[in-house]
Amino acid sequence: MIAGGVFLYFAIRKDIYKQIDNSLITEKDIIKDQIEQTETVPDSTATFDHQIEVELLNYPVHKLQVIKDTVLYNSDIDENVPFRYYFYSDNIINKNGYTISIFQILSEKQDLLGTISIYMFGLFLSLFLISILLNYLISRKLWSPFYKSVGSAGNFDVLSDKPLDLPETDIVEFQQLNNVFEKMTQKMRVDYLNLKEYNENAAHEIQTPLAIIRSKMELLMQNKTLKKDSLNLIKSINEATTRLFKLNQGLLLISKIENLYFHENKKVSLKEIIENFLGNYREIMEIKGIKVELEVSDKAIVEMNEVLADVLISNLLSNAVRYNINNGYIKCHIDDQCLIITNTGLPLKTDPELLFLRFHKVSDNPQSVGLGLSIVKKITDNYKMKISYSCTGNIHETRLNYRVK
Amino acid sequence: MKILIIEDDRSLRMAIYDYLKMEGHICEVAGNLFQASDKTNINRYDCIILDIGLPDGTGLDIIKELKKNKVADGILILSARNSLDDKLLGLKIGADDYLTKPFHFAELSARINSIYRRNSFLGLNEISFNEIKANTYDKQAYVNDTLLNLTKKEYDLLVFFMTNRNRIITKESIVEHLWGDEVILTDSFDFVYTHVKNLRKKIIAAKGKNYIKCIYGFGYKFIEN
Repeated sequence: MIAGGVFLYFAIRKDIYKQIDNSLITEKDIIKDQIEQTETVPDSTATFDHQIEVELLNYPVHKLQVIKDTVLYNSDIDENVPFRYYFYSDNIINKNGYTISIFQILSEKQDLLGTISIYMFGLFLSLFLISILLNYLISRKLWSPFYKSVGSAGNFDVLSDKPLDLPETDIVEFQQLNNVFEKMTQKMRVDYLNLKEYNENAAHEIQTPLAIIRSKMELLMQNKTLKKDSLNLIKSINEATTRLFKLNQGLLLISKIENLYFHENKKVSLKEIIENFLGNYREIMEIKGIKVELEVSDKAIVEMNEVLADVLISNLLSNAVRYNINNGYIKCHIDDQCLIITNTGLPLKTDPELLFLRFHKVSDNPQSVGLGLSIVKKITDNYKMKISYSCTGNIHETRLNYRVK
Repeated sequence: MKILIIEDDRSLRMAIYDYLKMEGHICEVAGNLFQASDKTNINRYDCIILDIGLPDGTGLDIIKELKKNKVADGILILSARNSLDDKLLGLKIGADDYLTKPFHFAELSARINSIYRRNSFLGLNEISFNEIKANTYDKQAYVNDTLLNLTKKEYDLLVFFMTNRNRIITKESIVEHLWGDEVILTDSFDFVYTHVKNLRKKIIAAKGKNYIKCIYGFGYKFIEN
């Protein structure tokens, strides 16, 4: 559009110049005729805007014609004014030469050009704006099904059963897009459900064989005729079975949390849970020489499932006990926003964020299955709480913000 | 004690049968709901061990039937599901206790004994082994009438030992008995050791004999030498 404007400007300008030049040449032709026929100089009607100078020379000249832009000084307005200057020299046939100089003011013409340019520019600008507006309005209407589709695809959650809200559209391409979205999300959901079901079934079906193994083993254990090396074998089997049992129990719990099995929420006092836990583990902490400092607000009430609240707090606190050092301490601070557990322990060797991953183990203890904190993470994710773990030297801090919504 | 085992898995059923028989109980078995109600309609049991998921129905129906007939048999629910709903429902309609598979036999034995004591009309709230006595009513233990100053965990441990005498009791089963299995607390075996040590010390201090024998690698045995 701008290029068009510039082109138009130059086209008009060229046209105007051509017109001026033509009129100059015509004028020259009239004067030339007069000179060549009468050998006299015509009366010059000299105004500032249009000046003609004719000079008869007493020597011959080369035939020459020049048209160019120039400026003349106008003393009235103390300004240089643009002119078109036409110079012509020729000889009267077989005689001496003459020159004709014509100055034609350009300002009027240029004013015209300027006005035209401004109008043109205005027209172009408004056309431009209108077309942008139109384009915007049209595309908004045209693309609205697309944006809706993309938006609802973006909000797609494999966990929820809500169908994808795809708008009806007559546009074939968008309809295709919607179909693809529909198929993709359905496939994802089915895959996810299959996987979840598989996990659940696997974890669940393992329970009974595990129970059989454990019971038969305990029967075998009671057999008084066993030799020492047989007993050692049973001991190893027993340890492995216990580990498998813990693992399975953890996975079952995770899949239950994922399935929103614990969906009944009620007002739970975190203070009570913490005090219960500490009561249950008081002796263990005494044995390890761990001091407990408790700073608990009565306002620490959270709306969540009772069992999960218990699992959450127990897992955090039992970690604080388990990975503590002898004669260490646990500080437990809780207000109406945050639960902060600070405890002593060995310096952490890995990235604290990794602790929340499934099967990530820090301790060399073969009995640790590495599910505790990933269960915690699952629960906090479920309730949109924020949990972070940090470790500076031998001080570990777990911060649970349970009021994030 | 007369016990009915209702469990659909044959292998597990027989394992429970063998263990309880070894403990000196009289046991009968049923593999499905039909056999089970057949038996409960004719016989009385001190305790019924009941698996909830049976091939021809839910074990909860048996509880309802028993309660309708005003039968006071003790009922211990056994479930692989670890499901809170089953547990709450079962206890609400009249089961005495709930145990999740897989369980330790020592735990099963302790639960059965506890149900038996609670249900018995004889006021059997005393467990005794030679000079050691435990009163399950006020949760106190005595050696020759000398009161033992035990913590709650030590008391629980002593009762657990006394109800599982002459058997190997694994450390795992002690951990689960004392702290429950909700928390995945895995290296609490040291704490078991400390509790046992303290308990033994207190019994000997009260002039009792040391009946707690350590079975290396496994756990303990409460036994008269």
